[in-house]
Amino acid sequence: MKIHAAKTITKGRVLFTAVLLALSAVPAMAQDAFPNHTLSMIVPFPPGGVADTTARPTAAIMEKYLKQPVAVVNRPGAGGAVGNAAVANAKPDGYTMGMVLSSISVIPAADELFNRKPAYSLDQFAPIALISADPTILVVHPSLPVKTLKELVALANSKPGQMSYSSSGIYGALHMPMEMFLHATKLKMRHVPTTGGGPAITAVLGGHVELTAGGPAAIHGHVKAEKLRPIVSWGATRHPAYPDVPTFKELGYKDVEYFIWAGLVGPKGMPEAVLKTLRDAARKTAEDPEFKNAMAKVNSPVQYMDAPEFKKYWDADAKRLAGLVKIVGKVDSK
Amino acid sequence: MMHDIDSAPAKKGIRSDQFSGFILLALALGVGWLNLEYPLGSLREPGPGFMPLLLAIFIGAMGLLIALWGGKSDPLAAIEWPEAKRALVIMAGCIVVSFALEPLGYRITIFAFLIFFLGVLERRRPLPAFLVSLGFSLISFYVIGDLLQVPLPRSPWGF
Amino acid sequence: MVETFNNLMLGFSVALSPEILVYAFAGCIIGTLVGMMPGLGPLAGISLLLPATFGLNPIVAIVLLSGVYYGAMYGGSTTSILMRIPGEAASVMTCIDGYAMTQKGRAGPALAIAAIGSFFAGTVGVIGLMLLAPTLAEFALRFGPPEYTALLMMGLFILAYMSGGSMLKTLAMAGLGLMIGMIGIDIMSGYTRFSFGLVELGDGVGIVPVAVGLFGISEILLTAGKGEMPDVQKPKLRDLIPSREEFRLSVGPIGRGSLLGFLIGIIPGSAHIISSFVSYGIERRMSKHPERFGNGAIEGVAGPESANNAAASGAFVPMLALGIPTSPVTAVMIAAIMVHGISPGPLLIQEQPELFWGFVASMYVGNVVLLVLNLPMVGVFVNLLRIPYAYLYPCVLAFCILGTYSVTNSMIDVWIMLVMGGLGYVLRKFDFDLAPVALGLVLAPMLELSLRQSLAMSGGDYGIFFERPIATTMLGLGVVLFLFSIKPLIFKTKDWRADVGLDEAKG
Repeated sequence: MKIHAAKTITKGRVLFTAVLLALSAVPAMAQDAFPNHTLSMIVPFPPGGVADTTARPTAAIMEKYLKQPVAVVNRPGAGGAVGNAAVANAKPDGYTMGMVLSSISVIPAADELFNRKPAYSLDQFAPIALISADPTILVVHPSLPVKTLKELVALANSKPGQMSYSSSGIYGALHMPMEMFLHATKLKMRHVPTTGGGPAITAVLGGHVELTAGGPAAIHGHVKAEKLRPIVSWGATRHPAYPDVPTFKELGYKDVEYFIWAGLVGPKGMPEAVLKTLRDAARKTAEDPEFKNAMAKVNSPVQYMDAPEFKKYWDADAKRLAGLVKIVGKVDSK
Repeated sequence: MMHDIDSAPAKKGIRSDQFSGFILLALALGVGWLNLEYPLGSLREPGPGFMPLLLAIFIGAMGLLIALWGGKSDPLAAIEWPEAKRALVIMAGCIVVSFALEPLGYRITIFAFLIFFLGVLERRRPLPAFLVSLGFSLISFYVIGDLLQVPLPRSPWGF
Repeated sequence: MVETFNNLMLGFSVALSPEILVYAFAGCIIGTLVGMMPGLGPLAGISLLLPATFGLNPIVAIVLLSGVYYGAMYGGSTTSILMRIPGEAASVMTCIDGYAMTQKGRAGPALAIAAIGSFFAGTVGVIGLMLLAPTLAEFALRFGPPEYTALLMMGLFILAYMSGGSMLKTLAMAGLGLMIGMIGIDIMSGYTRFSFGLVELGDGVGIVPVAVGLFGISEILLTAGKGEMPDVQKPKLRDLIPSREEFRLSVGPIGRGSLLGFLIGIIPGSAHIISSFVSYGIERRMSKHPERFGNGAIEGVAGPESANNAAASGAFVPMLALGIPTSPVTAVMIAAIMVHGISPGPLLIQEQPELFWGFVASMYVGNVVLLVLNLPMVGVFVNLLRIPYAYLYPCVLAFCILGTYSVTNSMIDVWIMLVMGGLGYVLRKFDFDLAPVALGLVLAPMLELSLRQSLAMSGGDYGIFFERPIATTMLGLGVVLFLFSIKPLIFKTKDWRADVGLDEAKG
């Protein structure tokens, strides 16, 4: 009886091992051929936004190098939290990537501030490549009698807490740089959050607030028409489309640097070979002239970084933003 | 929700408006209680809890007024629910679909859903019910999923 | 004037080229089909189509997308009239009288009047856009948060003024809608309110799933639940065309709706839904027989439909003249031209005359296409009602689930739709009006935000509402209307509303 049972176990074990082997063989084969079916690139924002207009050409050109279609999937919601969480919790087989924006680092920090159950944490991601990084540019309504940062700071100092700026929402991509600026200059201003980058600029155009931080692409037409006056940029170097606009760094504000970046990430735990395939495809994409051309059209020059570099950059950025969120704190506790 | 109302012992005298008014009042109190979590701010600088509180007060007041002035409305027991049973089945069907859609994929789920509705619930003849269900699930997937490229859920077996 | 004419000729030379014409046609057809899908509205339509336009040239792209936009607006009214399923927020009002007309066998005239009204409103909108764009755009910019607050307050006051049944119930429902609108992340403070731990609720509750649930699903539950299926309608040819009387009644509402819609449309923000509500309210007030409203009054279709289409064209004024996205729809349109390296801004008209005038001309063309496409289609659409209800409603339910799921690829919207369907069913049993819920839901986030923005601008000083002429005027007007509407409550004078209230309580 016992022997019989043992035999059955052995038999079962053999069968089990065989099944295991067969099962493990499937992914192994799939890995060899990665990718062998459609990949998806999650965009945590609605169509037409920065993430979307970066993801579309990236996906289109990556198809060329991955030899498989790459479908862009918009998963908007909660300022990007929904889509970011979808990437974080995807199966790490390399078939799901995400085109995420720098706001990815702010959301967990804000969740912590409000004691919320975090939608995801940053260590759930594996960076693949940085695609672009645009500095924001400080613009004022042309009726404001300032042309330089010095004049702006002097004016704001002369009436503390009287001037107001618009943003894309609290802790949003356009709020963070303004807080950085105000913190560095110890200025006080009124904050008027709006529902996005477009409305924030509209508020300045209508003269309802005096200034805002704007994305270089979004403000370009208005600056050209002299309806907005650029004062200073948050970039590390001057932006090619605005050669006359100095950076905070040039003007002596060492720590005031801010980019809205877009990067390709995947869920953590992708097999090394898969990650390498994706990194290679991303690199070739970034070097592709067709891609560079598409990105130049949306006024968002390619800023490629490979995974290790990108990781370092992201970590530093996340740390700075998390610190900033703490400084801003909850509105009511001020 | 509707089941509660249906099965609640219809007290004589309670009017439909009195009932709905008090439900609104209860809702307002519930919202007010949930709202305690958010800071109110001040009149000069309203916080996140400010407008919800105002609205809770407003809904509560309206509920109270509806209840007070509702003496002449129809008695609660006079509202008939002839369709409630079937409506519950329809809702249940939709809820099942909403849970099955992602694990089972669009085409299988919708096919099963239509077969259930047409064949079981509405007792249509099997052949047309089958053809409509099959045609609908395949064609709608083709138009929305393939032509408009909406990533509709697929089953683990690939379709 | 001569210059405008020459420019327009340039525009038509662009718009009437065969390639553009094909795309305009394609856009209108796709849009109409997308709009007819319950749950998919204009925004979803152009968002889905946007990626496909990246490979085209910018003029073609914008012509295609605006065709989709118009088509979807029109398609939305078709489902509203035939099945009481609004494709977008603006069709909510069309649902009420449009569907009532369908139940009386007048679906044909309702659809025809909606098409004619939309055509007229669209044309008024384009003419306004062409002649007045730069002037109006400057005016639109003066709408800051305080003006917006005043506008939205006025919208709510008008709601009270126009309320049909019991005013208390109307206000309670508006309150409920406003409350639902509070769900989501508060962008002033970062708090996530009433989200019950669901990340997907961070952006709040969308209007489309709520409208489809409240109106469409609740209707299915009420009708299909009965067990015995309603009789199949067999429309006769004579019933497809509006009668002389129906035409006569529609002229005024179409004219007023077009003007009103255009003016509200140019204001930056997403207050377009107000235009259809206000139009409905005005028509009801002006009518000699307000009790017909809600029971199949053709004016209740003509006015709001014209208003929402005119608002759609109005929204292009600030977009083209100033390059600012004033609504989610125009934001997508701007993205469509930005990917081609055209930066939107005040210089757009000068720098890209072909784009602007081609677009204007293609809007004329699009409107004609839609009219030509849809008037003959009225017969086809009405014949959809010949499908036995036992087959129709499960398919409609499946369409509703598919449509709401497709918008954000998430199940949450489907759940919202189902919950709202159940809620709508119960509320209708208790004689509550559902339209104010939809209006409240749309207004709530905008009203709260603009009020708090205004206070942030002024540092907490309410004087900001009285220093700005536009805001002050609108608030004053709103208060006057509100006082008028509560007069009968205070003085106990019996007015028509009481009669209607009694009627509805009985029915």
